[in-house]
Amino acid sequence: MSRAAVKLEPELAAQLVTAERLADRQGHCPTGVGTIDCLLGGGWPRGALSELCGRRSSGRTSVLMASLAASLGAGHATALIDADGMLDPRGAAAAGVPLDQLLWVRAGGRQALRATDLLIGAGGFGLVVLDLGEESTRIPSAAWMRLKHAAERQRTAVIIAAPRRTVGAFARSAIDLLAGRPLFDGAGPPLLVAIQTAVEVRRHRRTNDVAPTRTNLIVKADRGRPWESDDLTRNPQRVPNLPLTRNPQRVPNLRR
Amino acid sequence: MRLACVFVPQLALQSVLRREPESRGYAIALFDHADSSAPRTPASPHARVIAATEEARRGGVRNGMTGAQAAAACPTLRKVCATPADVATAQAALGDLGFAFAPRIDQSGVEQGRIFFEIGDLERLYPEGEAAITQALQARAARLGLGVRVAIASSKGIARVATRARELAVVPRGGERGFLAPLPIGVLLDEQVDGDKTKPRGRGSDAPPSDAGAALKRWGIATVGALAMLPAAEVALRLGPAGTRVHRLATGVDEEPFVPQLPADALEEETELDYAIYEIEPLSFVLRGLCDRALARLACRSLACAGITLRLKLDPRGLDVREILIAAPTREPATLLELVRLDLARRPPDAGVVGVALIALPARVRSTQLDFLRPAGPAPDRLAATLARLAALVGPENVGAPQAPNTWREEAIAVAPYSAAGASRAPEPSARSALAVRRFRPAQEIEVLMGRDGPTALRGSETTARVLIAAGPYRIRGEWWRPPEEDGDFARDYWDVHASDGAVYRLHQDSRSGRWFLDGYYD
Repeated sequence: MSRAAVKLEPELAAQLVTAERLADRQGHCPTGVGTIDCLLGGGWPRGALSELCGRRSSGRTSVLMASLAASLGAGHATALIDADGMLDPRGAAAAGVPLDQLLWVRAGGRQALRATDLLIGAGGFGLVVLDLGEESTRIPSAAWMRLKHAAERQRTAVIIAAPRRTVGAFARSAIDLLAGRPLFDGAGPPLLVAIQTAVEVRRHRRTNDVAPTRTNLIVKADRGRPWESDDLTRNPQRVPNLPLTRNPQRVPNLRR
Repeated sequence: MRLACVFVPQLALQSVLRREPESRGYAIALFDHADSSAPRTPASPHARVIAATEEARRGGVRNGMTGAQAAAACPTLRKVCATPADVATAQAALGDLGFAFAPRIDQSGVEQGRIFFEIGDLERLYPEGEAAITQALQARAARLGLGVRVAIASSKGIARVATRARELAVVPRGGERGFLAPLPIGVLLDEQVDGDKTKPRGRGSDAPPSDAGAALKRWGIATVGALAMLPAAEVALRLGPAGTRVHRLATGVDEEPFVPQLPADALEEETELDYAIYEIEPLSFVLRGLCDRALARLACRSLACAGITLRLKLDPRGLDVREILIAAPTREPATLLELVRLDLARRPPDAGVVGVALIALPARVRSTQLDFLRPAGPAPDRLAATLARLAALVGPENVGAPQAPNTWREEAIAVAPYSAAGASRAPEPSARSALAVRRFRPAQEIEVLMGRDGPTALRGSETTARVLIAAGPYRIRGEWWRPPEEDGDFARDYWDVHASDGAVYRLHQDSRSGRWFLDGYYD
């Protein structure tokens, strides 16, 4: 008995956490990106709606994938409602998302909202992501209100990803990813290595002010350190941008 | 061995009431149809009453009356006919009732409306005694829309006779003779008690032939006890083998064997319609009833529905058989109905529907073991219901766990069934690449202006922009073993381009056709 306890102890020790850390862990769902976790005070708040906004190539999907991977890594049931059906399974797997554990629902428009409502209402999901894709349909406030109450009841972290802010005051946290800048490796033929973006916290309960908190973020394509905060931009000689000399000033008429 | 006997009196009438539960409480008479080729309608002049509800009997309706006589006796009488499908499904539902309490039942084909099963282990579940078991059986049968008589005895024959004597009966061990003694001799004549002339007579029917019954009456034998007092050899001499069997039964001796049967792989609910239905909406009402009854039978056995096969009988002939996938076992009729409606809307039947059979595949909703150190996931039954609802909402092909198929086609994606068990497993660490791609499905065809070093401008429905930086080409070729006409052999040159609209696109040129496609963008 005592021998078994001695054997079990280091395994348990790795899993056990202090009560304070446990409460903190229960209160947030980590984003998988340390920089954003710091901005949000631990991650996406549980039992609330959060908003992640960003235009094309702003890094929005990369942050989403990191959040999914972190949630699944913590053992939470996790679902992704994909309004545009644009999920890339290889990219998601490369980002650390165990695909067989992710519940993926391909639904657009109001069906996506209904599916989100159903999933949150089922209970037991740690993170539900509603990726509105590039849809710009106006969603009534009552729908957000309903989702907000459902998330509060089930203590589920709900992320709504969209090109621009749509949830409004119903979101407890809102993050904007500003227009990304691609970084190409210019040593030989150009090779896309990263996208540099800026993260801006638009709304967060802890600060509860409008004053944005902003930081830079680099989303890397290589398999080393996937996320960096600033070091690539501090050392521009490592990843020099190609000169933009061959860019035409206007879009040529392709129909000629 | 203690056996329970569950008997459904007037099975044919009850099967109709089960199909039309709103008719309960009214005066209903069941008519036979002598001419099998004629339409099944009680309006036929040859049709006779073969069963009636208690309300109809109070109104004066008796077995053997014609339709006109019955209507004259009871003006509010409703005349119905039972189809073979109705009776068969009611019989199957009775079997499910047995399987809810025992792993094997005896449901011999010649004796409709009656099942036997062993109750040995049920005493642990019902410590109050066997009377509690009979009450539980009756309550469970009521949920299936069946009114039953239940008896528990040590042999099949005694239990059968006990169901004729009382609605709920428990024959104590060793007290068979004492239990049977005061009963009237009529309990051995099943027709007098069951009132259902449609039942076939067979081996399971232990009633003596009418001449033996008449002889017993002539001898002045009024009770089973009086019959048991007669010398066995004299009864055998005068009444033959049937008399011997009845005499042995009267003395509490019965050697009828218990023939165990396993449950069927799937359960079927079927109904035949009076006229052809061409629209989905009216057909939904029929399907709703079928779904309700099928799920009630499954719920009775603590099972859920894992798949549906719908068999539509078309007018004037032909069958339309379709299989409907369910993302996860469910017990919700609304979900099943929605899935069936979606399938019918997608592929409407070619002709009017005159009969519907719903075959439900049973499955057990398994519970999961909670982990001490990991968070609890969704409850399995709620998750199953949610998955089924989602499948009904967006289609089963759009719900599940995404998969990357074994191909070099970057856009390929597949969906596997989502399992709750997978959600509680710790993920394996893998190599990380943070930069994700959002893919257009299908890829958008675009026009591209090529320069010396690659694309310089692109135009399509998704974007129109000049190219600031282009990285590539990355050449991919695959599936050369299949012809291109079958989406096989492909050769593509991929480019990553930074466009002037700020996005970094992934696009490719088909090397065979020279056409350009926008695959997606890095995000």
